[in-house]
Amino acid sequence: MTSMKSRERVRTAINHRMPDRVPIDLGSTPVTGIHATTYSKLREALGLKKQPVKVIEPMQMLAEIEPEVLEILGVDTIGLQLPSTMFGFPNSGWKPFKFFDGTDLLVSEYFNVTVDSNGDLLMHPGGDLTAPPSARMPKDGFYFDAIVRQRPDAEENLDSRVFAEEQVRLYNDEELNYLQTTADYYYKNSDKSIVGCWWQGGLGDIAQVPGMSIREPHGIRDPQRWYEMLIEKPDYIRGIFEIQTEIGIENLKLYRQAVGDKIDVIVVSGTDFGSQRGPLISRSLFQTLWMPFYKKINDWIHSHTNWKTFYHSCGSIEMLMEDFIECGIDIINPVQCSAAGMEPKNLKQKYGDRIVFWGGGVNTQYTLPFGTADEVKKESAERIEIFCKNGGYVFTTIHNIQANTPPENVIAMFGAAVGNFF
Amino acid sequence: MEDLKKLSEAIIGGDAQSARAITEKALSQGIDPVRIVHDYMVPAMNEVGRRFDCNEYFVPELLLSARAMKSCLELLRPKLASGGVKAAGRVVIGTVKGDLHDIGKNLVAAMLEGGGFEVIDLGVNVTPEKFVDAVKNMDANIVAMSALLTTTMPSMKTTIDALKNAGLREKVKVLVGGAPITQKFADDIGADGYSENAPGAVSLARKLLAA
Repeated sequence: MTSMKSRERVRTAINHRMPDRVPIDLGSTPVTGIHATTYSKLREALGLKKQPVKVIEPMQMLAEIEPEVLEILGVDTIGLQLPSTMFGFPNSGWKPFKFFDGTDLLVSEYFNVTVDSNGDLLMHPGGDLTAPPSARMPKDGFYFDAIVRQRPDAEENLDSRVFAEEQVRLYNDEELNYLQTTADYYYKNSDKSIVGCWWQGGLGDIAQVPGMSIREPHGIRDPQRWYEMLIEKPDYIRGIFEIQTEIGIENLKLYRQAVGDKIDVIVVSGTDFGSQRGPLISRSLFQTLWMPFYKKINDWIHSHTNWKTFYHSCGSIEMLMEDFIECGIDIINPVQCSAAGMEPKNLKQKYGDRIVFWGGGVNTQYTLPFGTADEVKKESAERIEIFCKNGGYVFTTIHNIQANTPPENVIAMFGAAVGNFF
Repeated sequence: MEDLKKLSEAIIGGDAQSARAITEKALSQGIDPVRIVHDYMVPAMNEVGRRFDCNEYFVPELLLSARAMKSCLELLRPKLASGGVKAAGRVVIGTVKGDLHDIGKNLVAAMLEGGGFEVIDLGVNVTPEKFVDAVKNMDANIVAMSALLTTTMPSMKTTIDALKNAGLREKVKVLVGGAPITQKFADDIGADGYSENAPGAVSLARKLLAA
């Protein structure tokens, strides 16, 4: 078989046909990325010049992966992402920042943190230091986590519209222009498959619930209370999902005008439905609260574009797979094989001809950070053999490559995927 | 007399308002608070755990039941304390240093409390020193640690080492849990027990203290 170009390779795989080799993703989305400190060590291990690492996603401190690294590792994808952040500030105008462990980074000029008395870093919504902090990174930590800022009177006047409109708004011309220009550029100047990081179908995404970008968020902003509200006040939640879906579909129309069929994949949702041992919520709750809206979004996409719908959900979700397929999910990520009921062979056999697995590569909870390079190679090869049969598979790690991961393990993993070890 | 079966039902159904009202009424009628806890609340939380185990209940249901149970305990705790009632054990619980995730830890704390344990919750980002101090000062017999991140798991071992260095390791049973934790990891770091879920932590704590 003649060797395929990246775009063709990904398109073949996501259409459930067998590509020349397994397609590889790294960094096209903020759930298939790599922590900036690990990336810095990886660059060094690959023999590249030492230089500060650009942080493309400041909450999880994910690295921007440079074209030369994409080439070395054999990556087939590229992400189309607006230059904005979870904290509501633009990702632009880079400035140096030294991380706790001494790694030299470049962060957005709006990445303004304060340090509390414990040495924790505090991030402020919109990078505005006059606003109370919305996220915290513990001293010597690696990621930011939301600070719960639910107002004490939040439950008195619950209004779905207020919440929904704080979460999403229509794209402006500047954003649409950026999407159009960038999609054009990637399409013409690279052979990689473009992944559109849209994300607006992330209904009830627990990472979005605290509203880290909002100065004074309204409604239920405490993640624990949010989970309770799914049962206690389902009409409030349903109202939010309904308005978010309406705005989302309007934005999809604009998105399609901007990028057309230059993108192959659209990332719809990052809502997690699984825990380590089973689904976080019951199947009937998924079917009543989420499915109708996911179906609406997926139907719109399928009837107006050639895009494949990409949904991210961590954890054990085997019990929801039939529903995922029924409501039009084409691609599921990250395929957390270490969770209950997520054994690769069983998943592939039961669902492999109806849904694309994007992930599942290596266990980022154990093998990749704590195993040996040989263990990583072996596990990667096993997973590829199982998942790649008849296509329907894109190789990447299970969620982002975390901090404290040995670079030789990362290299071993990609080596196993492209069939050589540099 | 108040029908306390309704209390069990309210807790199982996650109805905090009713559960609290029934408890209030029962107390005003002079019903023994120990009886309320042992005969109605503990069995109700056991039932919630059973439903969770067989996938009838999920995280939202578990949280709502824990919330109902806690709102009753708020009323009962002062009475239990003044009556000199002995708890099943005293647990110091926290999410380890560097880790700010607490939904899992809160659930375990609530389930333990519902199981008749006295729980001292140290919160999140708890240093090994803080665990050691709490064991020392509170005379705890169980330390329960939670971690969500692979980068913070090692802090569990550091805490166990700190307990050893302080001469407290033999005095307490150490329980660990959280998404990336496995039985193997628990064994490797020398913990006494691991549970993959919150209800399991209660039976584990009971078993370890009985041993």
